[in-house]
Amino acid sequence: MNAATPSLDVPRLAGRRPGFAEVASEQLDAVYRYLVYLTGDRSAAEDLTAETFEKAFRSWRRFDPRRGSPRTWLCRIARSVAVDWFRAESRRRRREETYARDERLTEELGDGLPPELEAALRELSPAEREVVALRVLLELDGPSAARVLGISQTACSTRLSRALRRLEERMSDARE
Amino acid sequence: MPANEMTVEALLRAHAPHAPESLRERVLGFEPQRRPLRRFALVAVAGCAVVAVGAAIVHGITRSGSSRPVAVPGTPSVRRTLTTPTWATATPPPLPSRQALQIQVGASAGADTAATKHSAAAVAGSAGRLQHTDASLAIKVSSDDDLASATTRATRIATSLGGYAQSVHYASRGDSILDLRIPTVNVQAALGRLASLGTLVSQQISITDLQQQLKTQSAEIAQLRRRIAALAAALKNPSLPEAQRVILQIRLAESRRALSQRLNARKGTISAGTMSHVSVEIGTKKSIAPVHRRGRIGRLLHDAVGFLALEGMIVLFALIVASPIALVAFGLWLWRRRSVDRLLAA
Repeated sequence: MNAATPSLDVPRLAGRRPGFAEVASEQLDAVYRYLVYLTGDRSAAEDLTAETFEKAFRSWRRFDPRRGSPRTWLCRIARSVAVDWFRAESRRRRREETYARDERLTEELGDGLPPELEAALRELSPAEREVVALRVLLELDGPSAARVLGISQTACSTRLSRALRRLEERMSDARE
Repeated sequence: MPANEMTVEALLRAHAPHAPESLRERVLGFEPQRRPLRRFALVAVAGCAVVAVGAAIVHGITRSGSSRPVAVPGTPSVRRTLTTPTWATATPPPLPSRQALQIQVGASAGADTAATKHSAAAVAGSAGRLQHTDASLAIKVSSDDDLASATTRATRIATSLGGYAQSVHYASRGDSILDLRIPTVNVQAALGRLASLGTLVSQQISITDLQQQLKTQSAEIAQLRRRIAALAAALKNPSLPEAQRVILQIRLAESRRALSQRLNARKGTISAGTMSHVSVEIGTKKSIAPVHRRGRIGRLLHDAVGFLALEGMIVLFALIVASPIALVAFGLWLWRRRSVDRLLAA
C-alpha cells in the first residue's frame, strides 16, 4: 500500500497541513529508528511503531503544525508508547528474571554497525540511546529534542555529550 | 571514507536501521475507526445542558402560571402561598395546622383598599376556631412628619382595639418599627386601620390554627384529673400495704405536676389564640422601596434563573466532592511522569 491510501488521506487544511499518509510515509523510518534505539529491541520497535502511528492517526485532527514538526509530534507519541512498553517489560522481567533481557541482547541496533559501536550502544542506558537517536539519527534540533524528552535544553545537551563521549571512548579503545 | 576514520555520529547515521516493508504496509493500511465513546460523551454533555435549561424553563412556566397569583380587583400583584409546617417536637399531642398567607402589594393608588380587604377576608376565614395570627405590614409615608404621626396613630389603633404596643422603635429620619399585640377578634379591623396610615407596600399574614392543640390539651387535662381522683381514692383504702401506698403517692405527685404543666400550656395556647401579633414597619420613601410587580414573563425568567442557579449549585457541589479524587489522580499522573526518568535511566 502506498502513501496515497484513501483511508489515510486526511483532508488538508488550506494546503498548509500535510496529509497523514504523507507524514506517515516520510516519518516511518525516523520513528522506527528512535524506537529501536530507545528499546534496543527491533521486534518490539516494530510493534511500537505501528502502535504509535495508530495513535497518531486517531489524534491527527489535534496535530497543530504551528506547535512543532510532525516528527517531533510523532516522537512524543512514540515515547509515551515506549514508556508503557518499558513498564510492562519491567513487570515481565521481574516475573521471569533475566531470561528475556539476555535474549534481546543478541539483536542488532543498526543495519551493519561495527560490532564495537554496537556493543558501546548497548552499554548506554535507554535514556542515553534515546537522546542519541533524536539528535543524531533523527536530526532534531535541541529545543525539539528537549520537548520530546520533557527536559530542559541544557539537560538534553549534557545527556547527548555524555553519551557521545562514552561511545567515542569505547570506539577509540577498540581501535587501539 | 573507511569505517575506522568516520566519527561516531557519521557511523550511526550511515548504519541507521530502516523500517521493514511489512511494517510500512501495516502502518499505511490503517483504517479509520469510529470513536463512539467520545461522540457519546459529547452528545451526553450537550444533552445534559439542554435538559438543564429545559427543566429550568418548564419550572419557570409552571411556577409563573396564571393559577398562582390570586386575582384581586384593583390589586396589581397579589401572591398567595400555603405552607404546611414541620414540627420537630416528639410530643404526642396532635400538631397544630398552620396556614401562611403572603400578600405583596404594589404601591400604586387604590391598591391598599383591595389588599386590605383581601387580607382581612383571609384573617376572618376560620371564624369560631382558636387561631393565632402573625401579621407584618410595611407602610410608606411621604415625609418625616407623617412618619411621626403615623407611628403615634398606629399605637393608638392598637390600644383602641384592646391591645397594646409591645415595643416601638422610632427614628426621626428613617423608619419606625412597632410590635403590636391585638386581640384576635380585632385583628381584621386593626389591619384595615393600620393599612390606611399610608401606602401599603407589603403585607404578610401567618395564621396558626390552635384548635386541635387546645382540644388535645383539654383531653389530657381531663385524663389527668380522672387519674388523680382514682389515685386519691385508692390511697384512702386503709388496708393498702405500705410499699404500694408509697408507689401510689409518687404517682399521684407526678400526675399533679403533669396536670399543672398541662394547665399552664393550655393557658398559653388560649393566650396565643386570643392575642395576635402584628408587626408594623413605617418608613419614608427613601427607606422603604415598593415591591416591583412582575409580569408573567418576568416571573418565568425569575423562576427559571433561580432554578438554573440551583442546578449550578448542585454541579458545584458535585465538583467539590470530586475535586479530591481529581487531585489524587493528578498526583498519580505526576508520580508516573517522574517514574519515566528512573525507568529509562535503568
